[in-house]
Amino acid sequence: MVSKPAIDAVFEAMFILTDIRVMLRETAPGHVLSPAQREETVALLGTLEKKVEILRRELVP
Amino acid sequence: MKCAGPIDVRDVDESSINIDPIQVGGRLTPEAMKAIIAYGDGYSICDNCRKPFRLDYIKTPPVDVFMRDLAAFLHMDVARVVPGARRGFQAVADTYVERGDPVLITALSHYTEVLAIESRGGLIREIPKTTENLITPDATAGKIEDVTRETGKTPSLIFIDHVDYQYGNLHPVREIIKAVHQYDIPVLLNGAYTAGIMEVDGKDLEADFIVGSGHKSMAAPAPSGVLAATAERGSEVFRTTSVKTDVTSRTFGIKEVEMMGCTLMGVTLVGMMASFPRVQERVRRWDQELANGNLVVDALKSIQGTEIRSEYPRKHTLTRVDTTKSFDIVAKNHKKRGYFFSSALKTKGIAGIIPGATQVWKFNTYGMTRAQAEHVASSFKEIAAENGLSVL
Repeated sequence: MVSKPAIDAVFEAMFILTDIRVMLRETAPGHVLSPAQREETVALLGTLEKKVEILRRELVP
Repeated sequence: MKCAGPIDVRDVDESSINIDPIQVGGRLTPEAMKAIIAYGDGYSICDNCRKPFRLDYIKTPPVDVFMRDLAAFLHMDVARVVPGARRGFQAVADTYVERGDPVLITALSHYTEVLAIESRGGLIREIPKTTENLITPDATAGKIEDVTRETGKTPSLIFIDHVDYQYGNLHPVREIIKAVHQYDIPVLLNGAYTAGIMEVDGKDLEADFIVGSGHKSMAAPAPSGVLAATAERGSEVFRTTSVKTDVTSRTFGIKEVEMMGCTLMGVTLVGMMASFPRVQERVRRWDQELANGNLVVDALKSIQGTEIRSEYPRKHTLTRVDTTKSFDIVAKNHKKRGYFFSSALKTKGIAGIIPGATQVWKFNTYGMTRAQAEHVASSFKEIAAENGLSVL
Protein backbone atom coordinates (compact mmCIF):
# COMPACT_ATOMS: atom_id res chain seq x y z
CA MET A 1 0.00 0.00 0.00
CA VAL A 2 1.15 3.52 -0.75
CA SER A 3 2.25 5.54 2.24
CA LYS A 4 1.17 9.01 1.16
CA PRO A 5 2.22 10.52 4.50
CA ALA A 6 5.75 9.13 4.03
CA ILE A 7 5.97 10.40 0.46
CA ASP A 8 4.77 13.85 1.49
CA ALA A 9 7.08 13.91 4.49
CA VAL A 10 10.17 13.05 2.49
CA PHE A 11 9.56 15.85 -0.01
CA GLU A 12 8.61 18.34 2.70
CA ALA A 13 11.76 17.48 4.63
CA MET A 14 13.91 18.03 1.55
CA PHE A 15 12.16 21.35 0.91
CA ILE A 16 12.87 22.45 4.48
CA LEU A 17 16.52 21.48 4.07
CA THR A 18 16.52 23.48 0.85
CA ASP A 19 15.33 26.55 2.75
CA ILE A 20 18.20 26.04 5.18
CA ARG A 21 20.59 25.62 2.27
CA VAL A 22 19.43 28.94 0.85
CA MET A 23 20.04 30.57 4.22
CA LEU A 24 23.61 29.26 4.12
CA ARG A 25 23.98 30.89 0.72
CA GLU A 26 22.54 34.20 1.83
CA THR A 27 24.80 34.39 4.87
CA ALA A 28 28.02 33.07 3.30
CA PRO A 29 30.81 33.12 4.16
CA GLY A 30 30.35 33.87 7.87
CA HIS A 31 26.96 32.19 8.35
CA VAL A 32 26.06 34.64 11.10
CA LEU A 33 22.27 34.65 11.24
CA SER A 34 20.21 37.73 12.00
CA PRO A 35 17.58 37.45 14.74
CA ALA A 36 14.88 36.94 12.09
CA GLN A 37 16.93 34.25 10.36
CA ARG A 38 17.58 32.51 13.67
CA GLU A 39 13.86 32.49 14.40
CA GLU A 40 13.11 31.12 10.94
CA THR A 41 15.76 28.42 11.31
CA VAL A 42 14.38 27.30 14.67
CA ALA A 43 10.92 26.99 13.09
CA LEU A 44 12.29 25.09 10.09
CA LEU A 45 14.19 22.64 12.26
CA GLY A 46 11.11 22.06 14.39
CA THR A 47 9.03 21.25 11.32
CA LEU A 48 11.82 19.06 9.96
CA GLU A 49 11.83 16.99 13.14
CA LYS A 50 8.09 16.44 12.74
CA LYS A 51 8.62 15.21 9.16
CA VAL A 52 11.33 12.82 10.31
CA GLU A 53 8.96 11.54 13.00
CA ILE A 54 6.31 10.85 10.33
CA LEU A 55 8.87 8.88 8.34
CA ARG A 56 9.79 6.83 11.41
CA ARG A 57 6.14 6.15 12.14
CA GLU A 58 5.21 5.26 8.56
CA LEU A 59 8.23 3.27 7.46
CA VAL A 60 9.79 1.69 10.55
CA PRO A 61 6.98 1.47 13.11
CA MET B 1 32.27 15.05 0.81
CA LYS B 2 30.96 13.24 -2.25
CA CYS B 3 27.59 13.27 -4.01
CA ALA B 4 28.25 9.94 -5.65
CA GLY B 5 31.37 7.98 -6.60
CA PRO B 6 34.07 10.47 -7.58
CA ILE B 7 31.71 13.47 -7.78
CA ASP B 8 32.34 16.05 -5.10
CA VAL B 9 29.53 17.97 -3.45
CA ARG B 10 29.51 21.40 -5.03
CA ASP B 11 29.12 23.91 -2.22
CA VAL B 12 30.81 26.99 -3.62
CA ASP B 13 27.74 29.15 -3.07
CA GLU B 14 27.11 27.81 0.43
CA SER B 15 30.69 28.20 1.61
CA SER B 16 31.64 31.45 -0.10
CA ILE B 17 30.48 34.53 -1.95
CA ASN B 18 30.67 33.55 -5.60
CA ILE B 19 31.67 36.36 -7.99
CA ASP B 20 32.14 34.19 -11.08
CA PRO B 21 31.26 36.43 -14.05
CA ILE B 22 29.02 33.90 -15.80
CA GLN B 23 27.46 31.94 -12.93
CA VAL B 24 25.68 34.30 -10.62
CA GLY B 25 22.50 35.10 -12.58
CA GLY B 26 21.88 31.41 -13.12
CA ARG B 27 21.95 30.37 -9.48
CA LEU B 28 18.72 28.66 -8.64
CA THR B 29 15.96 30.17 -6.59
CA PRO B 30 14.72 28.11 -3.62
CA GLU B 31 11.63 27.32 -5.68
CA ALA B 32 13.75 25.88 -8.51
CA MET B 33 15.84 23.84 -6.08
CA LYS B 34 12.66 22.30 -4.68
CA ALA B 35 11.10 21.68 -8.09
CA ILE B 36 14.14 19.85 -9.40
CA ILE B 37 14.11 17.55 -6.38
CA ALA B 38 10.71 16.35 -7.57
CA TYR B 39 11.40 16.49 -11.32
CA GLY B 40 14.91 15.03 -11.57
CA ASP B 41 13.90 12.05 -13.66
CA GLY B 42 14.44 12.25 -17.41
CA TYR B 43 11.04 12.80 -19.02
CA SER B 44 9.41 14.05 -15.84
CA ILE B 45 7.72 17.00 -17.50
CA CYS B 46 5.93 14.64 -19.88
CA ASP B 47 3.65 12.76 -17.44
CA ASN B 48 0.59 14.63 -18.68
CA CYS B 49 1.58 15.33 -22.27
CA ARG B 50 -1.50 14.74 -24.42
CA LYS B 51 -2.51 15.49 -28.00
CA PRO B 52 -1.20 17.39 -29.93
CA PHE B 53 1.96 16.19 -28.11
CA ARG B 54 3.93 19.38 -27.99
CA LEU B 55 5.73 20.95 -25.06
CA ASP B 56 3.92 24.28 -25.18
CA TYR B 57 0.55 22.51 -24.95
CA ILE B 58 1.26 20.71 -21.65
CA LYS B 59 -1.16 21.89 -18.98
CA THR B 60 0.16 19.94 -15.97
CA PRO B 61 2.50 21.39 -14.92
CA PRO B 62 1.33 24.55 -16.73
CA VAL B 63 3.98 24.77 -19.44
CA ASP B 64 1.40 26.31 -21.80
CA VAL B 65 0.83 29.26 -19.49
CA PHE B 66 4.57 29.61 -18.80
CA MET B 67 5.39 29.92 -22.51
CA ARG B 68 2.82 32.68 -22.94
CA ASP B 69 3.99 34.44 -19.77
CA LEU B 70 7.59 34.19 -20.95
CA ALA B 71 6.72 35.99 -24.20
CA ALA B 72 4.81 38.65 -22.29
CA PHE B 73 7.70 39.09 -19.86
CA LEU B 74 9.96 40.03 -22.77
CA HIS B 75 7.17 42.03 -24.48
CA MET B 76 7.31 39.73 -27.48
CA ASP B 77 4.50 37.84 -29.22
CA VAL B 78 5.71 34.27 -28.95
CA ALA B 79 8.38 32.40 -27.00
CA ARG B 80 9.84 28.93 -26.82
CA VAL B 81 12.32 27.44 -24.42
CA VAL B 82 15.58 26.23 -25.93
CA PRO B 83 18.61 24.28 -24.62
CA GLY B 84 20.70 27.39 -24.04
CA ALA B 85 20.92 30.71 -25.86
CA ARG B 86 23.19 29.13 -28.46
CA ARG B 87 20.36 26.90 -29.68
CA GLY B 88 18.24 30.01 -30.07
CA PHE B 89 20.97 31.57 -32.22
CA GLN B 90 21.14 28.38 -34.22
CA ALA B 91 17.38 28.20 -34.85
CA VAL B 92 17.32 31.76 -36.15
CA ALA B 93 20.46 31.31 -38.26
CA ASP B 94 19.05 28.09 -39.72
CA THR B 95 15.94 29.98 -40.75
CA TYR B 96 17.50 33.04 -42.37
CA VAL B 97 21.08 32.31 -43.39
CA GLU B 98 21.92 30.63 -46.69
CA ARG B 99 25.43 29.62 -47.75
CA GLY B 100 27.43 32.73 -48.66
CA ASP B 101 25.02 35.16 -47.05
CA PRO B 102 26.72 37.98 -45.18
CA VAL B 103 25.72 38.05 -41.51
CA LEU B 104 26.76 40.71 -39.03
CA ILE B 105 27.86 40.17 -35.47
CA THR B 106 29.76 42.65 -33.31
CA ALA B 107 33.37 42.87 -32.23
CA LEU B 108 32.13 41.81 -28.79
CA SER B 109 29.91 38.92 -29.84
CA HIS B 110 29.91 35.52 -28.17
CA TYR B 111 31.54 32.64 -30.04
CA THR B 112 28.30 30.69 -30.23
CA GLU B 113 26.86 33.36 -32.52
CA VAL B 114 29.83 32.76 -34.81
CA LEU B 115 29.30 29.00 -34.75
CA ALA B 116 25.60 29.35 -35.52
CA ILE B 117 26.46 31.32 -38.66
CA GLU B 118 29.44 29.15 -39.58
CA SER B 119 27.27 26.03 -39.47
CA ARG B 120 25.10 27.60 -42.19
CA GLY B 121 28.06 28.64 -44.34
CA GLY B 122 27.33 32.32 -43.76
CA LEU B 123 29.91 35.04 -44.32
CA ILE B 124 30.68 36.53 -40.91
CA ARG B 125 31.47 40.21 -40.62
CA GLU B 126 31.98 42.17 -37.40
CA ILE B 127 30.67 45.59 -36.50
CA PRO B 128 33.66 47.39 -34.96
CA LYS B 129 33.54 48.74 -31.41
CA THR B 130 34.48 52.20 -30.24
CA THR B 131 37.50 52.87 -28.06
CA GLU B 132 35.02 52.81 -25.15
CA ASN B 133 34.08 49.25 -26.16
CA LEU B 134 30.60 50.14 -27.31
CA ILE B 135 28.72 49.28 -30.50
CA THR B 136 27.04 52.29 -32.10
CA PRO B 137 24.22 52.75 -34.64
CA ASP B 138 26.61 54.59 -36.97
CA ALA B 139 29.17 51.78 -36.91
CA THR B 140 26.37 49.30 -37.58
CA ALA B 141 24.96 51.23 -40.53
CA GLY B 142 28.49 51.75 -41.86
CA LYS B 143 29.21 48.03 -41.70
CA ILE B 144 25.97 47.18 -43.48
CA GLU B 145 26.97 49.57 -46.27
CA ASP B 146 30.51 48.14 -46.44
CA VAL B 147 29.35 44.53 -46.52
CA THR B 148 26.69 45.24 -49.11
CA ARG B 149 29.34 46.84 -51.34
CA GLU B 150 31.72 43.93 -50.71
CA THR B 151 29.29 41.09 -51.40
CA GLY B 152 26.52 42.62 -53.47
CA LYS B 153 23.99 41.43 -50.85
CA THR B 154 22.57 43.01 -47.74
CA PRO B 155 23.17 40.91 -44.63
CA SER B 156 20.45 38.33 -44.06
CA LEU B 157 20.62 38.65 -40.28
CA ILE B 158 22.29 40.76 -37.57
CA PHE B 159 23.20 39.67 -34.05
CA ILE B 160 23.41 42.45 -31.47
CA ASP B 161 24.42 41.90 -27.87
CA HIS B 162 22.32 43.80 -25.35
CA VAL B 163 25.12 43.55 -22.78
CA ASP B 164 28.32 41.93 -23.98
CA TYR B 165 30.13 39.18 -22.13
CA GLN B 166 33.57 40.80 -22.38
CA TYR B 167 32.99 44.15 -20.69
CA GLY B 168 29.43 43.92 -19.43
CA ASN B 169 28.71 47.12 -21.35
CA LEU B 170 25.14 48.12 -22.14
CA HIS B 171 24.92 48.96 -25.82
CA PRO B 172 22.42 51.39 -27.37
CA VAL B 173 20.43 48.56 -28.91
CA ARG B 174 17.22 50.50 -29.50
CA GLU B 175 19.05 52.97 -31.73
CA ILE B 176 21.08 50.20 -33.37
CA ILE B 177 17.95 48.21 -34.22
CA LYS B 178 16.29 51.31 -35.64
CA ALA B 179 19.31 51.79 -37.91
CA VAL B 180 19.29 48.13 -39.00
CA HIS B 181 15.59 48.14 -39.80
CA GLN B 182 16.13 50.88 -42.37
CA TYR B 183 17.76 48.12 -44.40
CA ASP B 184 14.92 45.65 -43.67
CA ILE B 185 17.24 43.19 -41.96
CA PRO B 186 15.99 41.06 -39.03
CA VAL B 187 17.76 41.63 -35.72
CA LEU B 188 18.45 39.02 -33.09
CA LEU B 189 19.02 40.66 -29.72
CA ASN B 190 21.29 38.56 -27.54
CA GLY B 191 19.92 39.07 -24.04
CA ALA B 192 21.97 36.36 -22.36
CA TYR B 193 23.17 38.89 -19.76
CA THR B 194 19.97 40.90 -19.50
CA ALA B 195 16.77 38.86 -19.92
CA GLY B 196 15.94 37.65 -16.42
CA ILE B 197 18.02 40.10 -14.44
CA MET B 198 16.91 43.48 -15.81
CA GLU B 199 13.85 44.73 -17.67
CA VAL B 200 13.92 43.86 -21.39
CA ASP B 201 11.12 45.25 -23.52
CA GLY B 202 11.29 43.76 -26.99
CA LYS B 203 8.47 45.91 -28.31
CA ASP B 204 10.16 49.10 -27.22
CA LEU B 205 13.48 47.94 -28.62
CA GLU B 206 11.73 46.72 -31.81
CA ALA B 207 13.71 43.48 -31.74
CA ASP B 208 12.68 40.75 -34.16
CA PHE B 209 14.09 38.11 -31.83
CA ILE B 210 15.26 38.07 -28.25
CA VAL B 211 17.40 35.21 -27.05
CA GLY B 212 17.95 34.73 -23.34
CA SER B 213 19.89 32.27 -21.25
CA GLY B 214 18.22 30.34 -18.46
CA HIS B 215 21.47 29.28 -16.84
CA LYS B 216 23.11 32.71 -17.17
CA SER B 217 20.31 35.03 -16.18
CA MET B 218 17.06 33.24 -15.36
CA ALA B 219 17.98 31.20 -12.29
CA ALA B 220 17.58 27.94 -14.18
CA PRO B 221 19.59 24.74 -14.67
CA ALA B 222 21.78 24.36 -17.75
CA PRO B 223 21.28 24.11 -20.62
CA SER B 224 18.23 26.32 -20.82
CA GLY B 225 17.19 29.49 -22.55
CA VAL B 226 14.46 31.31 -24.38
CA LEU B 227 13.89 32.31 -27.98
CA ALA B 228 11.20 34.97 -28.30
CA ALA B 229 9.97 36.54 -31.52
CA THR B 230 7.48 38.90 -33.04
CA ALA B 231 4.38 37.25 -34.48
CA GLU B 232 5.68 37.72 -38.02
CA ARG B 233 9.13 36.30 -37.34
CA GLY B 234 7.71 33.65 -35.03
CA SER B 235 5.72 32.16 -37.88
CA GLU B 236 8.99 31.74 -39.76
CA VAL B 237 11.34 30.44 -37.09
CA PHE B 238 8.69 28.30 -35.39
CA ARG B 239 7.32 26.83 -38.62
CA THR B 240 5.84 23.36 -38.29
CA THR B 241 6.77 20.19 -40.11
CA SER B 242 5.15 19.46 -43.46
CA VAL B 243 6.93 16.23 -44.28
CA LYS B 244 5.30 12.94 -45.25
CA THR B 245 7.64 9.96 -45.30
CA ASP B 246 7.79 7.80 -48.42
CA VAL B 247 7.51 4.25 -47.10
CA THR B 248 5.32 4.61 -44.04
CA SER B 249 3.51 7.82 -45.04
CA ARG B 250 4.06 9.19 -41.58
CA THR B 251 3.46 12.81 -40.74
CA PHE B 252 4.50 14.56 -37.54
CA GLY B 253 1.65 16.76 -36.45
CA ILE B 254 2.61 20.26 -35.36
CA LYS B 255 6.20 19.62 -34.36
CA GLU B 256 8.32 22.72 -34.92
CA VAL B 257 11.23 22.03 -37.25
CA GLU B 258 13.79 24.38 -35.70
CA MET B 259 12.90 23.22 -32.20
CA MET B 260 13.52 19.60 -33.23
CA GLY B 261 10.26 18.73 -31.55
CA CYS B 262 10.38 19.21 -27.79
CA THR B 263 13.31 21.15 -26.41
CA LEU B 264 13.58 21.18 -22.63
CA MET B 265 12.31 18.36 -20.48
CA GLY B 266 12.66 17.58 -16.79
CA VAL B 267 14.87 19.71 -14.56
CA THR B 268 15.76 22.41 -17.07
CA LEU B 269 12.20 23.40 -17.88
CA VAL B 270 10.73 22.89 -14.42
CA GLY B 271 13.64 24.86 -12.95
CA MET B 272 12.96 27.76 -15.31
CA MET B 273 9.27 27.63 -14.54
CA ALA B 274 9.73 27.46 -10.78
CA SER B 275 12.12 30.41 -10.76
CA PHE B 276 10.02 32.51 -13.10
CA PRO B 277 7.81 34.33 -10.55
CA ARG B 278 10.88 35.42 -8.63
CA VAL B 279 12.68 36.32 -11.87
CA GLN B 280 9.75 38.53 -12.89
CA GLU B 281 10.00 40.25 -9.54
CA ARG B 282 13.78 40.57 -9.35
CA VAL B 283 14.18 42.53 -12.59
CA ARG B 284 12.42 45.39 -10.80
CA ARG B 285 15.21 45.50 -8.22
CA TRP B 286 17.97 46.10 -10.75
CA ASP B 287 18.86 49.42 -9.14
CA GLN B 288 19.77 47.60 -5.91
CA GLU B 289 21.94 45.20 -7.86
CA LEU B 290 23.72 48.10 -9.56
CA ALA B 291 24.24 49.79 -6.20
CA ASN B 292 25.90 46.64 -4.85
CA GLY B 293 28.02 46.40 -8.00
CA ASN B 294 29.11 50.01 -7.78
CA LEU B 295 30.09 49.56 -4.14
CA VAL B 296 32.54 46.84 -5.20
CA VAL B 297 33.71 48.72 -8.30
CA ASP B 298 34.39 51.85 -6.27
CA ALA B 299 36.38 49.80 -3.77
CA LEU B 300 38.54 48.45 -6.60
CA LYS B 301 38.95 51.94 -8.06
CA SER B 302 40.23 53.13 -4.70
CA ILE B 303 43.20 50.77 -4.99
CA GLN B 304 46.03 52.67 -6.58
CA GLY B 305 46.86 51.46 -10.10
CA THR B 306 43.58 49.58 -10.59
CA GLU B 307 41.54 50.48 -13.66
CA ILE B 308 37.97 49.59 -14.56
CA ARG B 309 37.96 48.52 -18.21
CA SER B 310 34.16 48.41 -18.49
CA GLU B 311 32.14 51.56 -19.07
CA TYR B 312 31.86 53.69 -15.95
CA PRO B 313 29.63 54.43 -14.11
CA ARG B 314 28.54 50.85 -14.39
CA LYS B 315 25.22 49.91 -15.97
CA HIS B 316 25.66 46.19 -15.34
CA THR B 317 26.97 43.99 -12.54
CA LEU B 318 29.47 42.17 -14.80
CA THR B 319 32.70 44.19 -14.77
CA ARG B 320 36.12 43.85 -16.37
CA VAL B 321 38.97 45.17 -14.26
CA ASP B 322 42.66 45.69 -14.96
CA THR B 323 44.95 45.15 -11.98
CA THR B 324 48.17 44.96 -13.96
CA LYS B 325 49.45 48.00 -12.05
CA SER B 326 48.25 46.85 -8.65
CA PHE B 327 47.71 43.17 -7.76
CA ASP B 328 49.91 41.95 -10.61
CA ILE B 329 52.83 43.98 -9.27
CA VAL B 330 52.33 42.24 -5.91
CA ALA B 331 52.22 38.87 -7.70
CA LYS B 332 55.66 39.38 -9.23
CA ASN B 333 57.32 39.24 -5.81
CA HIS B 334 54.85 37.16 -3.83
CA LYS B 335 55.85 33.62 -2.88
CA LYS B 336 52.55 32.35 -4.30
CA ARG B 337 53.11 34.44 -7.44
CA GLY B 338 49.81 35.10 -9.25
CA TYR B 339 47.94 32.67 -7.05
CA PHE B 340 48.27 34.96 -4.05
CA PHE B 341 45.19 36.92 -5.12
CA SER B 342 42.69 34.07 -5.50
CA SER B 343 44.21 32.51 -2.38
CA ALA B 344 43.69 35.73 -0.39
CA LEU B 345 40.13 35.99 -1.67
CA LYS B 346 39.49 32.39 -0.68
CA THR B 347 40.72 33.12 2.82
CA LYS B 348 38.09 35.85 2.99
CA GLY B 349 35.39 33.53 1.70
CA ILE B 350 35.23 34.83 -1.86
CA ALA B 351 35.31 32.51 -4.87
CA GLY B 352 34.88 32.73 -8.62
CA ILE B 353 38.06 34.44 -9.83
CA ILE B 354 40.27 32.30 -12.07
CA PRO B 355 43.22 31.15 -9.93
CA GLY B 356 46.37 32.96 -11.01
CA ALA B 357 44.58 35.90 -12.63
CA THR B 358 46.08 39.20 -11.50
CA GLN B 359 46.07 41.24 -14.71
CA VAL B 360 42.74 41.58 -16.50
CA TRP B 361 39.80 39.69 -15.00
CA LYS B 362 36.06 39.84 -14.65
CA PHE B 363 33.65 39.52 -11.79
CA ASN B 364 29.92 39.78 -11.27
CA THR B 365 28.17 40.98 -8.11
CA TYR B 366 24.66 39.94 -9.15
CA GLY B 367 22.50 38.41 -6.42
CA MET B 368 24.57 39.44 -3.42
CA THR B 369 23.01 40.74 -0.27
CA ARG B 370 24.17 44.21 0.76
CA ALA B 371 26.21 42.68 3.58
CA GLN B 372 27.94 40.38 1.09
CA ALA B 373 28.71 43.29 -1.26
CA GLU B 374 30.21 45.21 1.67
CA HIS B 375 32.29 42.17 2.57
CA VAL B 376 33.62 41.82 -0.99
CA ALA B 377 34.36 45.55 -1.25
CA SER B 378 36.24 45.67 2.04
CA SER B 379 38.06 42.42 1.24
CA PHE B 380 39.56 43.84 -1.97
CA LYS B 381 40.80 46.88 -0.08
CA GLU B 382 42.15 44.79 2.79
CA ILE B 383 44.05 42.47 0.43
CA ALA B 384 45.55 45.53 -1.28
CA ALA B 385 46.59 47.13 2.00
CA GLU B 386 47.97 43.86 3.40
CA ASN B 387 50.20 43.64 0.34
CA GLY B 388 51.56 47.15 0.42
CA LEU B 389 49.28 48.79 -2.17
CA SER B 390 47.94 52.26 -1.51
CA VAL B 391 44.21 52.49 -0.93
CA LEU B 392 42.73 55.95 -1.37
